Amino acid sequence: MPAVPLLRVRDLTITHRGAGDPAVRDVSFEVHAGEVVLLLGPSGSGKSTLALALSGLIPHSLDATVSGSVTVCGHDAATTPVATLSSAVSTVFQDPDAQIVTGSVLDDAAFALENLRFPVAEVLSRAEAALRRMGLWERRAENPDRLSGGGKQRLAIASALATGSPVLILDEPTANLDPQGTADVHAALADIAGSEERALILVEHDLDAALEIATRAIVLDASGRVAFDGPARRILREHAEEILALGAWLPSAALAARRLRAAGIPIGASDTPLPLTAAELRESFSRFEARKTLDPSPGSGHARASKAEAEPIVSVRGLEVRRGRTSVLRGVDLDIEAASVTAIIGPNGAGKTTLVQALAGVVAPPRGLVSVDGIDPAVASPRALAAHIGFVFQNPEHQFIAHTVFEELAHGLRLRRTPPAEIDERVGAMLERFGLSGKAEVHPFLLSGGEKRRLSVGTALITRPRILVLDEPTFGQDRARTQELLALFRELRAEGTTIVLVTHDMDLVIRHASHTVLVEDGRIVAAGATSALVRDALIPLPAASLAVPPELRALLGDDAATEGRHGTIAGSGS
Amino acid sequence: MSDPYAEQTAAPARAWLHHLNPLAKLGAVLPAMVLLVFVRDLATPIAFLVLAYAVLLTGARLTARIWAVLLLAIPAGVVILGLSMALWTDPAQVASTPTALRIGTWELHAGALESGFATGLRLGAILALSLISGLTTTGPDVVRAGVQQLRIPYRFGYTALAAYRFVPRFGYELSVIRAAHRVRGTHGGRGPFARIARGWGYIVPLLASAIRHAERVALAMDSRAFGAHPTRTERHDVPFRPRDVVFLLLMLAASAALLTLFFPWRP
Repeated sequence: MPAVPLLRVRDLTITHRGAGDPAVRDVSFEVHAGEVVLLLGPSGSGKSTLALALSGLIPHSLDATVSGSVTVCGHDAATTPVATLSSAVSTVFQDPDAQIVTGSVLDDAAFALENLRFPVAEVLSRAEAALRRMGLWERRAENPDRLSGGGKQRLAIASALATGSPVLILDEPTANLDPQGTADVHAALADIAGSEERALILVEHDLDAALEIATRAIVLDASGRVAFDGPARRILREHAEEILALGAWLPSAALAARRLRAAGIPIGASDTPLPLTAAELRESFSRFEARKTLDPSPGSGHARASKAEAEPIVSVRGLEVRRGRTSVLRGVDLDIEAASVTAIIGPNGAGKTTLVQALAGVVAPPRGLVSVDGIDPAVASPRALAAHIGFVFQNPEHQFIAHTVFEELAHGLRLRRTPPAEIDERVGAMLERFGLSGKAEVHPFLLSGGEKRRLSVGTALITRPRILVLDEPTFGQDRARTQELLALFRELRAEGTTIVLVTHDMDLVIRHASHTVLVEDGRIVAAGATSALVRDALIPLPAASLAVPPELRALLGDDAATEGRHGTIAGSGS
Repeated sequence: MSDPYAEQTAAPARAWLHHLNPLAKLGAVLPAMVLLVFVRDLATPIAFLVLAYAVLLTGARLTARIWAVLLLAIPAGVVILGLSMALWTDPAQVASTPTALRIGTWELHAGALESGFATGLRLGAILALSLISGLTTTGPDVVRAGVQQLRIPYRFGYTALAAYRFVPRFGYELSVIRAAHRVRGTHGGRGPFARIARGWGYIVPLLASAIRHAERVALAMDSRAFGAHPTRTERHDVPFRPRDVVFLLLMLAASAALLTLFFPWRP
């Protein structure tokens, strides 16, 4: 390791303008060339703030009170102009669409170089090298809009590589991507991680992939202090419980092992460290000969699958949906069982969202093909439909229409001419349930991310529909919020509500969905009990689940979960 | 303009308009466009329409879309505008002109038709002239020419270009918001007033996401040294060549000649 660190942070404390408490407190660390630092912490722990300070965007572009210092390659980040800094440190942000400023792939890779006034020949040679590295050179003339989400992020990485800056910061680069895009970006990162003259700072919630390349982990706690700092695997192994208690994610193998342990399966002694990768998890089974010694207790998943044979609450026959000249859904037949959690999965663009939108009447299906709780969404008015099926959009803000949280919840009831006294009572109960009692008069847009999500679910539930449809509800959410939502699903299901959700998260599907529908290219390829689809290998299992012997996989499921046991949703504010 | 960035270098040599400097094209038509605003007769706008069509048909790459604009959209626009302006003209002012159409006691005077079509043709001519530049120039080239020849600070030009990327995104965002509001039962009835009321409801979520998106783009641009230096490397020269001067002078001369010939401001 060279003596001079690429990055030196000393007693850094950052307070955003208008905020009472610092987002980052007394943070000190050094990063040397060749390191890949994983920055962990719950949401609100200041990871992104720290990332912005490391690149000099705080304080140069964003106003904040900063004490302490950040030194990048010998330059003080607070006093060095961004122009000089940007050849020392580059950043890849979360939103792929917000990082593209030009009209072609090549122009985008050249953008920073042109701003730095490199001669034309060097701009071209550097941009070409970076694009080739990211596998985008063949597509250099295309409009970046045509790239997939993963492709756009690889372009952002190429733009960062082109500047040749030794420090590369990646702030949740895969949070907005589907599994294919995520795999794409991780492959690209693995390719550049080994370099001896570069350091990577990676903020990432997908620890399975990040651990493959990370050499070191820095864990921030909820108040923005460094909780742990050291070799990535050692930190995660030795402090797993503390990290979990902070509200951050663990690798899925560790979470699976924890769940099995809690169910009484001996994965090592209780004081031995948790396995961090699928391979380690698999190994821990062979070591203890789990297959022979264990009595495979029947999972609740099986019991559930055979239990219900009631009349389906949603039934679809021969559904076709066209958008313009292309047909998005073709010949869809589907039954959804009452009080089930049904996951709709499939690749991007397969028609998952269109399918659930047709159920909820967001897009009008042809008449007579869909029956939802006894009514046809093709002919029912939105107000009539709202009493039967609630729809929660991916971005909660899109569906907010009122000026206060109270009015937002009351809206659905007012449309139904509910008496004012009853409105007060039902809205009050809903506020209570979702931990929003103190926020009744707040504008919905001023809520925190988790509160917005809860409110959007509340507005869909206020008319007491028997079916709740959610479009990618956990997309880009941190662990605390995801757990909160999953706890809510359990509660709603216990009350008899049917839940239908579109998701890419296979871990969620396996652990929480009783039924799964696989959509590909506008058709339903498979549908049935999740356990049956898993058995027939129709659901792509995450590596950590694959490492668990099949007879034990049911223990990974919903009811066996040992975490996120929130009594009420209100109990776990974000 | 679905893709303002689409490369135009593929334009064949025959499509000579595409190979001119954007500023030459703008400068060539702007004086005539301004003067046409003050023209009230029929002949002058027709003459300029012919001039604009002649330039476009010989010099632009003619796609099906351009044919549709030139042969359908502009003529239809001129006719519709001409007729509706004719109906709108104060009959008292044109009472001395012969009657062109009579329905019961209502009369349409030839003077009204003439003044209506003067307006329609005027706007058609201005539009056709603007297409000379509009159909044959890409956004980035206008910005580059502005920066290279007019010495406009590049920050303005390139920021405007980056902002153009927002348009399709907001279109998509708006469609999602509309669906979300519809599903919540905020239809609120038919007619223009209900529609305006609904539109208001879309503004807050759209603005919130627009501001957030703009902030993110600004950060990404800052982190890539945008605006750090007073100039930036330009990989594409947009030169101002002799042929640009020739085109500019020829167009200005033609405009002057037409205006002199038809001199529309006779007392």
